Amino acid sequence: MDGQGLRLQAFLRRFFRPAGDPNLARINRRRTMFSFIARRMTVLKLALFIAGYVWIFSVPSSQLDRGVYFDENALQPGQVNAYWNWKEVHDADHFLGELEILRDSNATSEQRSQFIMNEFLRIGLPASTQNYEFTGLSKGLNGTNVYAILRSPRVSGAEATIISASWISRVNEGDGTLNLRGVATVLALSRFVKQYSLWARDIIFIIGDGYMEGMQAWLSSYHGVTQSNLRAQPLELTSGVVWTALNIDYPGHSLSHLGIFHEGLNGRLPNQDLLNSFQYISRRTGVPVVLYDHKDELDLGWLPDNIRNHPEIKTYAAQARNLWRHVRYQASGRGSGVHGLFHQYRIDAFTIFAVPAAGPHGFHSLGRIIESTLRTTNNLLERLHASFFFYLLTSFDRFVKIGNYLPSVILISVAMMFGGLQVWVDAAWMERRLDKHEEGSTGMVWVRRRRPVLEAVSIVLGTHILGAACFFFLSHKWYQSLPFTSPLLWVAAYILPLAVPRFFPQNITDNIAPLSLVLKAFNLCLSSTVISIISVLNFSLAACLAVALGIPLSVASSSSNGAMGMVRYTMYIVLGFGWLLLDETRKQMIWDWDILGVWLLPFLCVVYYPLSLQAALVCII
Amino acid sequence: MHWLSCRKTITLCIVFRVLFALGLDFYLSPPTSYAYYADNGDKVVEFINTGPGLLSASSPLTLYANLKESLWLYQRGMDPYGSGIGQVGVSPLYLAFSFFPTIAESGPLKTQLLSKLFGIFLWTAPDAFSAWFLVRIWKARASSRTSTNSSSSSITFVLPLIYLLSPYVILSSLARSTSVWENAILLGAIAWACESESEFKTKPKLNNSNSKSKSKSLLFLALRVHLSLDALILLPPLILILLGSPESRLAEPGPFALYVAKRRSVKKQPEEKLPNEPAENHLRSTILRAALNVLFEFMVYWTALALISTLIVGHWRWMSTTWGTSLSLPSMTPNPGLWWYFFTEMFDHFRPFFLVVFNVHLLMYVAPICIKFQHDPLYALFILVGILATFKSYPTLSDHGLFIAFWGIFPEVYPYLRHPFPTTLVLIHSALLQPLFAHLWLSHGTGNANFYYASTLVGACAGGMAIVDAVWAGLRIALERHGKRELKFVEGEEREIVTQQ
Repeated sequence: MDGQGLRLQAFLRRFFRPAGDPNLARINRRRTMFSFIARRMTVLKLALFIAGYVWIFSVPSSQLDRGVYFDENALQPGQVNAYWNWKEVHDADHFLGELEILRDSNATSEQRSQFIMNEFLRIGLPASTQNYEFTGLSKGLNGTNVYAILRSPRVSGAEATIISASWISRVNEGDGTLNLRGVATVLALSRFVKQYSLWARDIIFIIGDGYMEGMQAWLSSYHGVTQSNLRAQPLELTSGVVWTALNIDYPGHSLSHLGIFHEGLNGRLPNQDLLNSFQYISRRTGVPVVLYDHKDELDLGWLPDNIRNHPEIKTYAAQARNLWRHVRYQASGRGSGVHGLFHQYRIDAFTIFAVPAAGPHGFHSLGRIIESTLRTTNNLLERLHASFFFYLLTSFDRFVKIGNYLPSVILISVAMMFGGLQVWVDAAWMERRLDKHEEGSTGMVWVRRRRPVLEAVSIVLGTHILGAACFFFLSHKWYQSLPFTSPLLWVAAYILPLAVPRFFPQNITDNIAPLSLVLKAFNLCLSSTVISIISVLNFSLAACLAVALGIPLSVASSSSNGAMGMVRYTMYIVLGFGWLLLDETRKQMIWDWDILGVWLLPFLCVVYYPLSLQAALVCII
Repeated sequence: MHWLSCRKTITLCIVFRVLFALGLDFYLSPPTSYAYYADNGDKVVEFINTGPGLLSASSPLTLYANLKESLWLYQRGMDPYGSGIGQVGVSPLYLAFSFFPTIAESGPLKTQLLSKLFGIFLWTAPDAFSAWFLVRIWKARASSRTSTNSSSSSITFVLPLIYLLSPYVILSSLARSTSVWENAILLGAIAWACESESEFKTKPKLNNSNSKSKSKSLLFLALRVHLSLDALILLPPLILILLGSPESRLAEPGPFALYVAKRRSVKKQPEEKLPNEPAENHLRSTILRAALNVLFEFMVYWTALALISTLIVGHWRWMSTTWGTSLSLPSMTPNPGLWWYFFTEMFDHFRPFFLVVFNVHLLMYVAPICIKFQHDPLYALFILVGILATFKSYPTLSDHGLFIAFWGIFPEVYPYLRHPFPTTLVLIHSALLQPLFAHLWLSHGTGNANFYYASTLVGACAGGMAIVDAVWAGLRIALERHGKRELKFVEGEEREIVTQQ
């Protein structure tokens, strides 16, 4: 070994095995390390926060995403000659005409379901209807679903694919525009697929009444799930396990682009291969694809020209718009349409949305694309599992992998965790001036003090119980029927916690840490835990939480000035419970919870509000 | 007074638990629905096993469905341990209770509500016993303490709370996992061991202790070992408790024989000095003889139970499907332990070797921990309970619940723990991640087995951190109390002892 190597070896040995007591050296080394980190904790926290926020806001940039690709070789998209032709377009036009007559005659849902069922039966498919009615909060919400099943001509029918359309289109999140052309497409498709024997699984055609509620009732019955506030007729016809579902939404007169809507209830996403096949087939057929209905470029007129026309900026703006829409759908838990209901039963589904336009495409292109997509899913030998379930689509053909977006939120959560641990350690120590008669009397000493853990834990538990009580009131019948319930509940949620400081009188002694410090430590650690765990389940929600809670909870501190404390307290309560006063949002959330079982309302009440309430209490204790 | 408050706490908790279980039952199958007439609490079991307790609430060894299947087969004269029925069987002793389902479904309990209450009672009562035994263990440990400080009285009422209201225990009980019974039996064995008196120890100042405690304790441990073999590693510390005492002596470490000698001298001739060399040898052999006696008694009980089981079933083959399972891992159903994933990934020809490795790994801890904590065998037992919960082949949530509740008995170590807060946080992470990842894998279909295994690894980390910290704190007390380290307050510097956080 040469001299250099020996010297290096000696250096390493000195470093890892210094002379003297190895245990002492180990303890010293550990202390040096810890104090090195502890002294720079504020900087470290700040760096983590900044890195996290910068990362979150750079997710839309073109540096972090990549093009989509197929992972499931069995799919073979676009490898077939489509048989759908002008005859089928004529069928669709015919059905559309009949449906328009029904619409114009103000037919009840009973009548139109009878009509659609008869059409299915005339085509030669076993068909049936299903009545449903919601009770409880949404009393009187009822309707009739129609469905028909094409028995697989080739195999036993242990698996099935669903083609569905809801009576009301998803335009403006179900504002009442009818999805007549979507229904007509499904009817024409059912007639079309009957002619071919190439189907390897049953195909179920469903026309769901209403926007989301009809399909919810049908799917619950199909999967034997009982929903306490739903009375649905049992299904007369059943089939096998459903693997994939296509939901067709065609509200306009013609279409220029096909849009992909894919977010499901409670933040679930379908397998990416399904979306990939669709967009590949659609573009090969000649119809451009967009994500959502974003066919127009974002108007950036307020920016100077040279910035606006920079390709990087343009990409960023477009992708940020897509992601923002995604975050809104996913974080709200409501999903972006009827397809969202399928994901809870492990069915990969998305909505093909025909973006309304004056042209140039119509039933002909749409039918060919749906046929080809159907035949692609027909090739599957097992459930879609290969490609991604955790992804963010930045555009219809680009996506961000989990490794490129998850760390942003985790960094913020780690920063909060470090903050919490730091406060926890700080609470245990206090600096005290040495008495005169002690030796070395010049300085200060650090002495340990007791941390009131039990009190802080009971406050934390209490806030969550209060949140649960709020949730109980919000989801109760009386809440809708009585006047002024929201302001009253808000005031109650504001005033009740003010009693907490009375139960825990502050004793200013040297040997007990202030309760607010321990509460803040628990609050930060708990929030960090919640954020990092939610990030796997529903990334958008976790990102919203990280932005809403990250910095605010970290800066919570008790104030000696009473008025200042109250101002801060109010701000935290508004942050945590302000959504209650937004009438539309609240009603929507209650409806979503009641009918679809979206978790956002209980989450906000039982987890989010208590977390910000704890920060609020830190300010006044 | 305190005894009363502890009973009140247990009663209140049990009432809450029963109401909770009943409410959940009504919520899941409302009286108007068809399901209400069809099931007897099975909806709740199904809800727990597919919902919050997915994969974690019960292992194949303690699964309610397995128990029911075995009982059903046995009632109809079929052999529950026959080939092709399953590799994992329940203990034959449970089969002796095959009249229970009959009672629940017909006869005097025809009413649905009564039958439901009976089912709930059967799976809540053991928790009440467990909580009661925990309090008795604590009392036996604290009885000899000279100064009863204020915290010790509150512990008698906190202990039942942390056991009965622990989500881990509640989930297992709602899932009707037989592990809640196993916990109760184990705690019973420990409680009686703590209360027993031997020739080496003074009589604990308890009203309910009697000379039969030792036999009861050994019988219960034999029963526990019979139900699930893993408890065998708790036998050595239990014998030490039976010969020694459960009281807290963490602060004064020393050889086991020394304490026995001290006690003996106190008991017999207070004026006698500590034994000299030949006397010590004599003492050693006395202790050894007593230990062998205890071991023999245990073996007699165990053999008797095995014979009874054989009489019930009619053949010996039940042994391989009950005891054999915890050793040879025939069912690789995912559970919160560390074994299943490892053995799923492995080539079959390595299996026997690694089975030996994993089993020996569990055994490996027994001797060192019993030797190191020979002055406080209850503490050694506590650490081994933690090791079982973390490393055994088919752990469930209730094992973790038992370990967590056990912490309540040792308040004297709290100030010496190095990282209680991070351990708690890791535990909370794992407790939240486990159901979540199990669902991502099995019901959403978006995750896979690695997700769930990762979350159980986090749980194992929490368990490991807790065990390491318990060992650290248990040894550190002595160091602190003996003042071997100068506690110097240096300006602006932490005390050396407090390396924590």
